Amino acid sequence: MSDNKTPAAKGRASACSIPDSAECTLAELPVGGSAVIVSMKPGLRGKKKFADVGLVPGTMLQMEAHAPFGGLLRIRVMDSSLSIHRDDAANIVVRRELP
Amino acid sequence: MSRKYRIVLAGNPNCGKTTIFNCLTGARQHVGNYPGVTVESKTGEFMLGEDEIELIDIPGVYSLSSSSPEEGVAFEELTRPGIDLIMNVIDSSIPQRSLYLSTQLAELHIPMLIVFNMSDEAKKKGLKFDIPKLQSYFGCSIVQTVGSRGDGVDKLKSALAESLLHLEDHDVPKLTYGADVDDAIREIVQWIEPAMTERVRHIPARFFAIKLLEKDTCVMRLPEFQGLDAIIDAQIAHLYARHAIKAETFMADCRYAMISGACRDSISFTQERRREISDKIDAVVTNQWVGLPLFFAVMYLMFWFTFTCAAPMTDGIGALFGWIQSGIESCWPETAMPLFRRLLIEGVIHGVGGVVMFLPNILFLFLAIAFLEDTGYMARAAFVMDGIMRKFDLQGKSFVPLVLGFGCNVPAIMATRSIESERDRRTTILILPLMSCGARLPVYALLIPAFFAVKYQAFMMFLLYAIGVVFAMAAARLLKSTLFKGDGEVYLMELPPYRVPTVKSILLHMWDRGVMYLKKAGTIILGVSVLLFIANNFPEKEKTGISYGTQIEAVKNDASLTPEQQTAKVKDINRRRAEAAEYTVSGRVGKFLEPAFKPIGFDWRSTTAAIGALAAKEIFVSQLGILFAEGEDAADASGDKQESLRMQLRRAYTPLQGFCMMLFCLLSIPCLATLAIIRRELNSWKWMFLEAIGLFALAYVTTLIVYRTGLLLKIGTNYLL
Repeated sequence: MSDNKTPAAKGRASACSIPDSAECTLAELPVGGSAVIVSMKPGLRGKKKFADVGLVPGTMLQMEAHAPFGGLLRIRVMDSSLSIHRDDAANIVVRRELP
Repeated sequence: MSRKYRIVLAGNPNCGKTTIFNCLTGARQHVGNYPGVTVESKTGEFMLGEDEIELIDIPGVYSLSSSSPEEGVAFEELTRPGIDLIMNVIDSSIPQRSLYLSTQLAELHIPMLIVFNMSDEAKKKGLKFDIPKLQSYFGCSIVQTVGSRGDGVDKLKSALAESLLHLEDHDVPKLTYGADVDDAIREIVQWIEPAMTERVRHIPARFFAIKLLEKDTCVMRLPEFQGLDAIIDAQIAHLYARHAIKAETFMADCRYAMISGACRDSISFTQERRREISDKIDAVVTNQWVGLPLFFAVMYLMFWFTFTCAAPMTDGIGALFGWIQSGIESCWPETAMPLFRRLLIEGVIHGVGGVVMFLPNILFLFLAIAFLEDTGYMARAAFVMDGIMRKFDLQGKSFVPLVLGFGCNVPAIMATRSIESERDRRTTILILPLMSCGARLPVYALLIPAFFAVKYQAFMMFLLYAIGVVFAMAAARLLKSTLFKGDGEVYLMELPPYRVPTVKSILLHMWDRGVMYLKKAGTIILGVSVLLFIANNFPEKEKTGISYGTQIEAVKNDASLTPEQQTAKVKDINRRRAEAAEYTVSGRVGKFLEPAFKPIGFDWRSTTAAIGALAAKEIFVSQLGILFAEGEDAADASGDKQESLRMQLRRAYTPLQGFCMMLFCLLSIPCLATLAIIRRELNSWKWMFLEAIGLFALAYVTTLIVYRTGLLLKIGTNYLL
């Protein structure tokens, strides 16, 4: 069972850890990683709400933590900590920055 | 010449508006270190030289749009005519984010004064501001303050006085968004200017035009701007087609770009920003694995603190009331005005004293809650609990109100205003009464030691709180899957940095709560206790004047009687006592309702206590105190008041019945104050009644099942040691 799983997990891991400046969604950004917002996917709800707290293209952010049981992510934007939901983060495209 | 000015305090959530408000007006509004403590606007007044200032504290907002009820309140206050000046409080340790609101307030074109609050934290972070440059950017004065210590408040007052002299010639700038967007704005202004009524005319049409381009729901809903949708949509489509500008977020982009320009010029870092202690703590507290166990440990500590640490003081107050009672008894002979003597002893000392006794528990509970609020842990708790809450179709934001509910349901229900999703908000309000509030605590604190040995007491207390939480979660799940079905809203919550709470703020909060509790004891509980005393004693079946307890004592002390005769006489007195009790209003009401409550283990006395508990949960304790005071033996009266009542209760009920009483108190209809706030917050009488009926049914059925099962399995029918 675990043997079947390993290659798939590896595949996903390598897909996300490719070149450090690659684009991925905010939900995929690992804890401790920094990124710059590239764009918002059209499916993002509450676009204006996020814009109001500084989540606009060009903003730098860091992934600070993942909450237990999945749902929330904690990101640092403009020196303040925000928690947002993973589903919404999946609609925000970011470009990873080199550490 | 003295004048009157209206000033609105606006700013982001948790930027310290209320602290500044308290500093200026001398008020003591509640502050806490998490976003959304202030949910309704509050007004205060103060004198500035000759002038009278009316200061309005509004809920914190990130922008002038409106998606949650509190943002609606803020928007309404800010666009109301007659505002002379906006005092914009910003958290200067995060200037970029905070100044975003300032750029929008500037669009209102009302004179402004910016308060760079928390400047101590900004300094610690190594931020340095070029204040004159920033002042020229925003066309207004900027004052640096540390609200928590009161630093800079005098400077703020003088700057305010100065700004009030220049209301007519302020230089709050009009921001531009580039030629393309400005064209669109001008186009819309042409359409809306004729539609502007007196109500909104003090605000530039440009402000509304921008809001309409941003598709702001609050502005679009204004009656003045109906029927313009086609024109606005055309402009938005035009901007997108011609210039690839998404109007909805373009303005936010522009504002942030403008701020980062302004900040680059005028804010500098004097040192490498050190990783704050706050982050280090959070690495543990919001950790994926450690966060939850830590949260449960914190909750356990909170309750341990509330019960264990308060115990000696509770005993002290109990002894004090016992001492007062024996004092009254010894210097007031029973034959002089016996009715008033009994009213004083039974109604006031047993009724109110029984409730006041638990003041230390209440104080410690609120002390613990205030500590969690002021340090900033509450927002973390919401973060780590979100995952679990979602399993019950709730979310992290529902969590803070639910914890506050352990203190008092009323402010907790108000705190739900920070929840954007209407469905989640309604669900949270409806399940909140199941969170066992501080007023239910005296009931447990009286009954648990009466029926359960020391080693079971902590577990019973825990069990009751847990039952409340489990029912609340189950109810949430049920409500969300039936009545309030649908997708959740966008979740967004700020986690403020940890702050060391000021001792003053925490003690003040505790003090205010304590005073509130005592006031309640002195008004509602005193009043209801007196009424209950009357209901418990009238109409009288026979005129005795001397209490049955004294009569029994007299018989026992009568040396001329043989022991057999004494026993017979005591039996007779007790029979007459029982008859007299049943003859009273309480007895009749209780007897009338007894058939309905008997299946759940209540007798007529606990039934009347449960009815009294509708006014306030503590009345349950008062009523038992008053009812059983009469049956008190002289031997008991000399000792601890609470213990003698517990002895009486132990004689009258089984532990199973005792547990059923507590269970019923926990789940049943909340107090009237809670019902009133539910009606107000849901704006519906229907929901209030449904809530009351629903909770009553829940309490009744649950208690019925527990009592019947207990009887069947013979659990708790005898006192356990």
